[in-house]
Amino acid sequence: MNVYEVFLKKDGKDEFRHAGSIEAADPDLAMVLVRETYLRRAEGDQVWLVDRRHVVASGPGYIDPNADKPHRFNDGGRVAARRKAKRDESGAAR
Amino acid sequence: MSAGRRDWSAAEREYLLAFADDEHLMGQQHTEWIGTAPFLEEDLAFASIAQDELGHAAALYELLGDADDLAFRRDADGYRSCALVELPCPDWAEALARHWLYDLAERHRWQSLGAGIDDRLDGVVARARREEEYHRLHAAALIGRLYGQDGDAHERLDAAVRSLLPFADALWEPVAGEHEAHRAGLATVTSAQLRARWRPEVEAVVGPVPWDELANLGQDARRQRTEHFASLFDRITEVFRIDPNAIW
Repeated sequence: MNVYEVFLKKDGKDEFRHAGSIEAADPDLAMVLVRETYLRRAEGDQVWLVDRRHVVASGPGYIDPNADKPHRFNDGGRVAARRKAKRDESGAAR
Repeated sequence: MSAGRRDWSAAEREYLLAFADDEHLMGQQHTEWIGTAPFLEEDLAFASIAQDELGHAAALYELLGDADDLAFRRDADGYRSCALVELPCPDWAEALARHWLYDLAERHRWQSLGAGIDDRLDGVVARARREEEYHRLHAAALIGRLYGQDGDAHERLDAAVRSLLPFADALWEPVAGEHEAHRAGLATVTSAQLRARWRPEVEAVVGPVPWDELANLGQDARRQRTEHFASLFDRITEVFRIDPNAIW
């Protein structure tokens, strides 16, 4: 048995989105079975199946160091705080 | 050009009723696998197919009268179903084999109904033909995969197909009213011609079949119910009988 990752696309500009996975003996059977498992209520009008063995996946811990870099999360907060401090300073001087 | 609604002759009714009854009982038989099919995805697929078949039956019944009357309030004698759809198939291999044999046949039957006779019939046919494509694909994918293997899957499926073939082939015995339905354009192809299209499709998968040696179910089999009908009909009407006048 193989596992296939299921991607559905709705009508319009939406992109294909991951919806889950399905186990089947071959791609043809997977395509037959995915229709009533994932698209019974026309949840999309197109479906992609990707053999999980063809997915290039990251190893454990590969991404972790990037979780500790607040300087890459630029929400403008520090600049805003500095500008406010500057404003308060000049206001006090007047 | 709009065909409007046709006032069906008695013969045309018989012809449509035979098809509707097959669809009704086939759908019912399939629903009995809900929750017990071998795996979840197949459970869903089979249940969907069952729903489609019951929908076809309801739509055909509506052409002829009140669907509830025809589905639930008729005597066994009034049914025109073939033996194939009345048989119990408690083994999954049998249920799958029947699904395959039946849907191969059903596709030909939908394609053989004439267009432009009745507006509603045209609508039913268009819908059913689209749905049948999936039924055929589903059956072919499973049968192709399992039949092509060595060992248990092949043997069980082959035994199931062989045991069902006499009943499946008898589905093509001329239906009462067929001659007139053919003349009126309701049937564009005779049962004999459809049988001649169906048989090679079966043989393409299971190999040569000695058609002439299959057990003969007798003439006019659709006018007699098999011994299995009573219990099947009992299950069909189980809920209905609790309150026949309930509004759903």
